[in-house]
Amino acid sequence: MRSVAKQQTNGKIERLSAEELAELLVPATAKTPEEKRAALKRATTGLRVKVRVTRDMYRPR
Amino acid sequence: MSVTGGRRPTLTRGVFAIEQEQLALPDPLALDTSFVVEALLATQPLHATCSAFLARIVESGVAVVTSDLLAVELAETAFAIALKEHWGGRWRGHRIDGRSRRPGTRLLNHTVTRYDALLSPVNHLPIPVRRVTVQARALMTGYGLASYDAVHAASAIAADAKAIVTLDTGFALLPSAQLAIYTDRSRLASCRNKRPH
Repeated sequence: MRSVAKQQTNGKIERLSAEELAELLVPATAKTPEEKRAALKRATTGLRVKVRVTRDMYRPR
Repeated sequence: MSVTGGRRPTLTRGVFAIEQEQLALPDPLALDTSFVVEALLATQPLHATCSAFLARIVESGVAVVTSDLLAVELAETAFAIALKEHWGGRWRGHRIDGRSRRPGTRLLNHTVTRYDALLSPVNHLPIPVRRVTVQARALMTGYGLASYDAVHAASAIAADAKAIVTLDTGFALLPSAQLAIYTDRSRLASCRNKRPH
């Protein structure tokens, strides 16, 4: 079975290999500047809520 | 590429303001949930700052690293918002209330749609939690990071990201040599004070 976690060596956190990262990579689907701008607009506009989100709403300290 | 842009790291302690126009963007660059929440939700106080920086990331063409934990935390955020909108300060006690699940699901769908849109213009490296459990433990025991912060930081480091974009000062417990912190201007001093000597 392939190792799923790397060991810490000499106080440094070991990186995933280039091959492992290539396996994980999801390429961009919006390619042109227009597509990218439209995607950004979809992502960042219009989602309004009535409360302020604080860190404790998604992550325990 | 140096994220310090030639400045002395002893002054910055590896903590930089995302409002700074000259800030270099390393490739890849890691994102934390706190930044993504702020960028997606138009009602958050730092929405304008974070969505502007997100536009810079997209324009620069750098790849983005996230932990798979981020998507789970976004889902948790959506449900917590629905509960808090309905129950106010008593929202935690109503988690299993079915009446909040429907609006929570609706908000979750809106959030997921926007998160997918956010990722579509970038090359994305989603790091599974199981790939960094050992590294996360090392960051917890070595530097005192909280578990979830440790998973995000370990994912960034494992993917060779030189910086993480976050509004959470907890990441500053890491030495600057491990990971630069890109945050908003108001958190610079707090993050720099937390950096280990």
